[in-house]
Amino acid sequence: MVSSIRGLQSTARKGKDMSDLTFNMDDWEPLPADALGLAKESAGVSLSYWQNIWRCFKKNKLSVMSLIFIVFLIFVAVFGPMLTRQSYSDQNRDYIHIPPQLDIYAIGRDTYVYLSPSMQLLKVSKDGHLLGPVEKLEDDLSSKRRVYTLGGQNIIVDYRQKPARILYEDGKDVPLFRKKVWNKTFWFGTDSVGRDLFVRIIYGARVTIIIGFVASFVNLTIGVLYGGIAGYLGGMTDNIMMRIVDILRSIPRLLYVILLMVVFGSGLLTVVIVIGLVDWLGMARIVRGQVFSIKNREYVLAARALGAKPKRILLRHLIPNALGPIIIETAMNIPHAIFTEAFLSFVGLGVSAPQASWGTLANNALSGFMSYPYEMFFPAIAISLTVLAFNFLGDGLRDAIDPRFKE
Amino acid sequence: MGKYLLYRIGSMFVTLFVIITITFFLMHAVPGGPYDFEGQNLKPEIVELLQSKYHLNDPIFKQYLDYLKGVATFDLGPSFYYSGRSVTDVIAQGLPVTIKLSALSILFVILLSLPLGVISALKRNRLTDRLIMIFATIGRTVPAFVVGTLLIYFLSYKWRLFPIFGVATFKHYILPSVALSLATTAQLTRLIRASMLDVLNQDYIRTAKAKGLSKSRILLKHALKNASIPMVTVLGSSVAGLLTGAFVIEQIFAMPGMGRYFTQAISNRDYPLIMGITIYFSLILLVSMLVVDILYGLIDPRAAVYGKKR
Repeated sequence: MVSSIRGLQSTARKGKDMSDLTFNMDDWEPLPADALGLAKESAGVSLSYWQNIWRCFKKNKLSVMSLIFIVFLIFVAVFGPMLTRQSYSDQNRDYIHIPPQLDIYAIGRDTYVYLSPSMQLLKVSKDGHLLGPVEKLEDDLSSKRRVYTLGGQNIIVDYRQKPARILYEDGKDVPLFRKKVWNKTFWFGTDSVGRDLFVRIIYGARVTIIIGFVASFVNLTIGVLYGGIAGYLGGMTDNIMMRIVDILRSIPRLLYVILLMVVFGSGLLTVVIVIGLVDWLGMARIVRGQVFSIKNREYVLAARALGAKPKRILLRHLIPNALGPIIIETAMNIPHAIFTEAFLSFVGLGVSAPQASWGTLANNALSGFMSYPYEMFFPAIAISLTVLAFNFLGDGLRDAIDPRFKE
Repeated sequence: MGKYLLYRIGSMFVTLFVIITITFFLMHAVPGGPYDFEGQNLKPEIVELLQSKYHLNDPIFKQYLDYLKGVATFDLGPSFYYSGRSVTDVIAQGLPVTIKLSALSILFVILLSLPLGVISALKRNRLTDRLIMIFATIGRTVPAFVVGTLLIYFLSYKWRLFPIFGVATFKHYILPSVALSLATTAQLTRLIRASMLDVLNQDYIRTAKAKGLSKSRILLKHALKNASIPMVTVLGSSVAGLLTGAFVIEQIFAMPGMGRYFTQAISNRDYPLIMGITIYFSLILLVSMLVVDILYGLIDPRAAVYGKKR
């Protein structure tokens, strides 16, 4: 390619006489990108603000994983409950407190049974599918004995001492087939009225996601507008508006969330309303501060000089320029809202049965927690992982948008 | 300083007044009276009698003024549910438990987060630091009720190291306090680490090193004192978290504290008790924020000057 440039120069030199001038069409082709080794330097594509943030964000592996987890969670919350065989409120008296891992006993060659904590003998398959209850012949409460019949054979359950024994009619123990087989029917086990915990956790994800969305929505509408208006107008209006926020903030938030729950009565809708009512205060302060600091910039002055109305200046100039901190605050607020809902439901003020949120599930598990710890384990893990993911997402966004905070 | 203090105390009372007003009208806006218990059909005459006993038939504004007068003299009226007992009486019973629980928690927070934060700052990016930061991350994401139940399950139930329920001895308070303090400890550890890193890069630390001061002296006299300033601010606002966290913890550990009375008062619709506990909680919180502000001014004289202008 270098030669072709030389060629061009030589034709130009020769062409003192205009009539001599000959054009070599090849000379007018653009140079390929890597010519002269200049390409690398000039290829620094200029990135927009958001592209730059996305690039920083992508570098943080934990945050990206969290984002994927959250997207997955949203999918589960939206579509999960449609795909399950049971609904979150289906009860089954035969399957009470079934754990996620089963000890299976073998009766004869191809028959397997599992003894539930409520002394109900259940037919199971070899790999842990529950096939239904075994027919009960008699239940002797005084001598703590139950007789079941299976395939013409009587099986005796003796629960005078712990652990209970499963016996043939002649008094021999039924042999243990395998210990700790994963429950294939109820992956996470069942609760005190035989509801499938897996389905309930999926349903709980829905509640959590709703709460997260409501919190963000309220933050992004009421919080942003309130703070924006206070910051832009300034003066007395700002003073009064922010005084109100200050006073509301100095009341312990959970305390009046609880008071509002008392007024409205418990339930998912009221949790959503109450969290919506109180969640925008922090955002209002932050947006107000941001607007305050950028409202005297030249571009705002220019907009005003062009005759833009305050509404337009606020919505088109001030708020978009404060978007970084707004996004950070929103992301940081979501785990708070999720915690609040879990807290309320756990105390018994939030989402109540048969509806399921993770807080409610944990609360239900509390009373039988010594015997059935798995009922607490799964909702606890679900809450912790979700809050963890939102926290990492928030951290990642903060580092990407506002690198000053980066350690 | 005196003027600032006066201003702060004044605004504290304004806030308290607002809280009382909000609480009062919220509680009176609740649909249904306090005698609508399930399965308890009282005759209209009896309801009438009860209402006149508790002055519920007075005009709402008169009730409000009466209540304000009562609050000023620490008389919060009779409890609806615990018949024959006043709200002040019930609170006086629950308050010591909650205060002890919170105080012990704050102690744990300081005793744990300060060394952890300092160590992880000194061992920056080493294994110790990583482990402490993992602890801090887990601490802020696991809800208190999970921590509480785990502690009961393993330490009390499986290994029988601690008593499970009640408040009889000091030992009863240890597990609840640990559960309650974990989230704040985690938050504070991160904060102390960050501020310690910041302080260690300051010029005066280099000067101290150049002077040939011993490592421990630099750490204790120069670095720690300055690094603890942000800790004080966060500690103030975390009192709110500890107090409301006590609701859950007291329920799990079956402790007869204010939080438990509060949740019970809600299910019993004991409005005077709800109002009373709300006011007490807010008062404790506001006072602790004030104390923190004063402490802040003492530790960092620059802040007191800014404080006036704030």
